[in-house]
Amino acid sequence: MHKTHALFPFSLLTICYGVVGVLVVAYIGLIAVVMSSAVLTVEFSQSIKNDVAAVALLEGQYLANVAHITRANVAALGYTKPLIKTFVRAESVTALR
Amino acid sequence: MRAQFRSRLRLVLAFVFFVAICILVRLYFIQIVHGQEYSQKADRQFASGGSGLFDRGAIYFTRKDGTLISAATLATGFLVAINPQILADPEAAYTALQTVVPDSISRDAFLAAAAKKGQVYIEVVHRLSDADGQMLTAKNIRGVQVLRERWRQYPGGSLASQSIGIVSYGSGDTLGGRTGLERFYEGTLERSGDSLYKNFFAELFSNVGNLLVAAKDAREGDIVTTIEPEVQTRLQDDVAKVHKKYSSKESGGIIMDPATGAIIAIANYPSYDANDLQSVDPNVLGNPLVEHVHEFGSIMKPLTMTAGLDAGVITPTTTYNDTGCITVNTARICNWDLKARGVIPMKQIIVQSLNVGAAWVATELGQEKFRAYFTKLFGVKTGIDLPNEGGALLSNLMKPQQIGYDTAAYGQGIAVTPIQMIRALGAIANGGMMVQPHLASSVRLNSGITRTLAWGETTPVFSSAAARDTTTMMTAVVDEKLQNGKAMIPTMSVAAKTGTAQLTDGRGGYATDRFLHSFTGFFPSYNPRFIILLYTNDPQGVTYASDTLSSSFLDLVHFLIDYYAVPPDRGLPLETATTTPI
Repeated sequence: MHKTHALFPFSLLTICYGVVGVLVVAYIGLIAVVMSSAVLTVEFSQSIKNDVAAVALLEGQYLANVAHITRANVAALGYTKPLIKTFVRAESVTALR
Repeated sequence: MRAQFRSRLRLVLAFVFFVAICILVRLYFIQIVHGQEYSQKADRQFASGGSGLFDRGAIYFTRKDGTLISAATLATGFLVAINPQILADPEAAYTALQTVVPDSISRDAFLAAAAKKGQVYIEVVHRLSDADGQMLTAKNIRGVQVLRERWRQYPGGSLASQSIGIVSYGSGDTLGGRTGLERFYEGTLERSGDSLYKNFFAELFSNVGNLLVAAKDAREGDIVTTIEPEVQTRLQDDVAKVHKKYSSKESGGIIMDPATGAIIAIANYPSYDANDLQSVDPNVLGNPLVEHVHEFGSIMKPLTMTAGLDAGVITPTTTYNDTGCITVNTARICNWDLKARGVIPMKQIIVQSLNVGAAWVATELGQEKFRAYFTKLFGVKTGIDLPNEGGALLSNLMKPQQIGYDTAAYGQGIAVTPIQMIRALGAIANGGMMVQPHLASSVRLNSGITRTLAWGETTPVFSSAAARDTTTMMTAVVDEKLQNGKAMIPTMSVAAKTGTAQLTDGRGGYATDRFLHSFTGFFPSYNPRFIILLYTNDPQGVTYASDTLSSSFLDLVHFLIDYYAVPPDRGLPLETATTTPI
């Protein structure tokens, strides 16, 4: 102890107090960070799930519309079959411009 | 004084250290040794919290342009729970609930739940929307809890529901995939390890590996299927129309890419809405297209023909004398119209669907070779990624009586699943190679990596020349025979075959007035992009498949040509346009 005191301007005990103090602050800080991180993670996760659910709602509407169009009786809607069908070779995108 | 202070300080430090050790040991016993016991104790007090929020991977359809559309996903909302011990005025609580979500629960049921004073947590209403949940929360009713809830949602409802599957409670208290892809890919779709009672201390002792390496991220993910939602809708609609029109017992259809085995649409009727399982008949929860076997009838003839051509016992120009009926092992085999055709070439066996001709090819092939071909085609399950796949019934081919082989040649006496049938017919479309049918194309892992599933295994069955010769015969069915040649598409070759099989009467024989109708076809004939299989079981008031399924098949062909813009493969000179009367 005597030798240590000679090497450092502070006693070993004082250094220990300092280290303990820093560790306690760091520990409390870590707890705060972990808690905040957990809260944010849960919030972000829920936010993503909410968005997924909202997208699923739109997808449901899209699929319902597809089903509605598929089941539509085009004849009852006033459409008639074309008299002739003309097949042509598809032009390139550039040529169509 | 200083020494005395130091010794006191050491004493205090030793005490603090001792208390810390005691706490550590106590925590170890509470969380590790008796953790399960405390967890169950907590569950008994708070039933909801024990299970946490439901989480599960998604299943996607894939549109033709590659866009993913959810087939199975998660919906979020709220549930309402009551604590009967502190719910002072159940009548007022019920009235408040009714103003937000009318008819969510009957008054009697709510009051009965509120009367259970021995309990502290009873869930009374589920699946409230966000808006309703927040409105009810704002009312701040004492004894009423509004909690976040998630559940499985199927945006397509009944779209491919028997293949997508369902999630439900099994024998235990865990939600899991029970049928379809939900069950087959349970390991990928389930989400685990997010227990309410997990904490860093417990993880440090019991599960340090998972803290360092996120192993579940390499396993958990979403499933991307090959099902195209618009084609699926069209197929379902066509299958349902046939089923209802002819009051059939069961109807189904599959559309597959013959080159890869990717299933683009797979439908069965009757089906169910996966979002409304309350009123579902449990018998329709499975997938008959992979679980049930049928005698498919004449759509088996192209396979018999290709086997004969491949073995070299016949060529397309070989002729035989069709007598209309023959007797084999005391049993009588006849053509569908009982008429004799005289000496005719092989093509007519397919075009006119002649049972006597198919039996003749089987006889030419010999029992051993016939058995070898059909065992290769149907002897093993396809390995499709759906649970409970059924196997073919080929016992007639293990007996020495020729009648078993002759009837099998035109699709009677052996029974196979629809998925086996389309896989085998796909070999004709795919130059003699059988592919592995599948529904999932890739897995999107939580780690961000998309893992493409390998379905490249192929089984050579026929030579490409034999497959091509049969394709030519099947193309003639559409061009010359179907709807008296009116079904022909001038700019697109389509190969097809109808099948009408007698149903068993349950007494070891066959009913004379009950049939299974089937229809198969692929196009463009010589470089097919799609193969279609349709069937309807026991349609009423109609005998032949050409009457029940032709229009559905042609509707699907025209739809697919338009939807995928399949380029013409014939009848269109290089520089000119072709005009076709409708």
